[in-house]
Amino acid sequence: MTMRGVSKSNSWLTVVLLAPTTLWFLFMLILPLIVILVFSFGERAAVGGYGGGFTFEHYLNLPARLKAFQNTMTFAPVGTLLCLLVAYPLAYYLALKVDSRYKLLLLVLVIVPFWTSLLIRTYAWIFILGGRGIPSLLELIGFEGVRLINTPGAVLVGIVYGYLPLMVFPIFVSLEKLDKTLLEASNDLGGSPFKTFMQITLPLSMPGMATGCMLVFILLMGEFLIPAFLGGGKVFFIGNALVDLFLQSRNWPFGSAVSITLVVIMLVTVSFYMRMTLRSKTGRDESLM
Amino acid sequence: MRIYAIAVYLFLYVPIGIIVLFSFNAGRHASELRGLSVQWYGKALSNPFVGDAFFTSLVVALSVAVLSSLLGTAAALALQRLKGSLRVLFDALIYISVMIPGIVIGIATLVALVTVFDFLNPLLAALWPEGAKPPKLHMGYLSVIAAHTLFTMSLVIILVRARIAGMDRALIEASMDLYATPWRTFYQVTLPQIYPAILAGFLLAFTFSFDDFIISFFVAGPNTTLPIYVFASIRRGITPEVNAIGTMVLAVSLILLVAAQFLLRARTRR
Repeated sequence: MTMRGVSKSNSWLTVVLLAPTTLWFLFMLILPLIVILVFSFGERAAVGGYGGGFTFEHYLNLPARLKAFQNTMTFAPVGTLLCLLVAYPLAYYLALKVDSRYKLLLLVLVIVPFWTSLLIRTYAWIFILGGRGIPSLLELIGFEGVRLINTPGAVLVGIVYGYLPLMVFPIFVSLEKLDKTLLEASNDLGGSPFKTFMQITLPLSMPGMATGCMLVFILLMGEFLIPAFLGGGKVFFIGNALVDLFLQSRNWPFGSAVSITLVVIMLVTVSFYMRMTLRSKTGRDESLM
Repeated sequence: MRIYAIAVYLFLYVPIGIIVLFSFNAGRHASELRGLSVQWYGKALSNPFVGDAFFTSLVVALSVAVLSSLLGTAAALALQRLKGSLRVLFDALIYISVMIPGIVIGIATLVALVTVFDFLNPLLAALWPEGAKPPKLHMGYLSVIAAHTLFTMSLVIILVRARIAGMDRALIEASMDLYATPWRTFYQVTLPQIYPAILAGFLLAFTFSFDDFIISFFVAGPNTTLPIYVFASIRRGITPEVNAIGTMVLAVSLILLVAAQFLLRARTRR
């Protein structure tokens, strides 16, 4: 590195190696986002496309899709919280209670479903919750006319089912990294298991919980399949409104305004998360001093 | 605690199991199990629409996997040498492209490409020699491949970079000290150490692309991938044939995932 020639050829190599990735980011990420930003301020053309001009009309018109925003902003946090509640005990069990020989296998078994088709996995619940699934079993024991599919509950089940793995993994990692001698120390000092959990385990697994919640929340904000399959038109998210706006009613400028709003809400969430995690880190450093 | 864990595993796997079980249904109705048979697999495999969709998905997923593992590895290697604000910028772009929901990428890509194509097509037609048919740019294989690759390329970068970070730098320095050319150092020292991560990235990229519905739904144009076909069939009604196709889709990703996990595990063992 000290020789000039070497570092020069190195920098050329760096440019060549990074060029395709840079092009991809430019043309498949930055350009598309700029285009929908521009579209969102444009007039609607006769066929639904972009008609030029500059107007705030579409942003002012956002309340027309208020229900979709309301649903998304209710179901995303509630779904995230449910995922957290279901995932935490499992992550705790895997990280602290399971024999290390089986740990990896059991963790992999949690993660594998996440990488298989969400479409097929959500479809499975249409099958289970639909008229000939659980309701027909309930009929056998005397509960008639129970409707499960196309309800808010069905959507929440689909959410937990779809995104549970994404929540378990980061919590597992933070619990796994936890210094076990702290738990022993607390135990030796007469702390009850509950107190040890509340004062040591839970605070130290906070970063994992925050990461898991952010991942799940962001994906839920853009969810389309789960409400489409299990909400049956009654529970619809921004994603469903977007599919309708772009593919059915072809109102591209308004659809662009909705997408930009969605992206802005997500950016706010991420920066909020960043600030929280940074603060919790400095908070810990202070408490250590 | 243990019972709770078992319950969660059942919750995760029973629905998948039900789809698999009902795909072997001998009866004509999707939700009435009447003996076992593989007739629906035969039906699904001989359906030309399923065949076409499967072929499209395969071509797209394979291209995405090859492209993203090549480009992602190249970028991961280069990013090691990059410092300062440029590095921060790339890191931000990598994380944005992993985090941004598929639906936003799908929409933004659709709108941007259609706009660019509408602008370029008359130009191409004007520039093209008289008489010959000018090429017409449109949505199709390439747009799906490009849109999927944005996500999967960043995924490969993250995986390979994690591997490079855990690599023994001394080996590379030793190789340099022994006057190996940079190419030889890469080929004989770096590559053998990072290839499990590259291969795992390849498999995850393939699985992502093969399973993706929402991005393809927007940018596939006239092409139908297998998830798009399945989505349309489910909208029409549940049939045992859908269960059979679903089981095959699950099987493809499960096999690849087990292979990817195996490779990532081999990586940590060493």
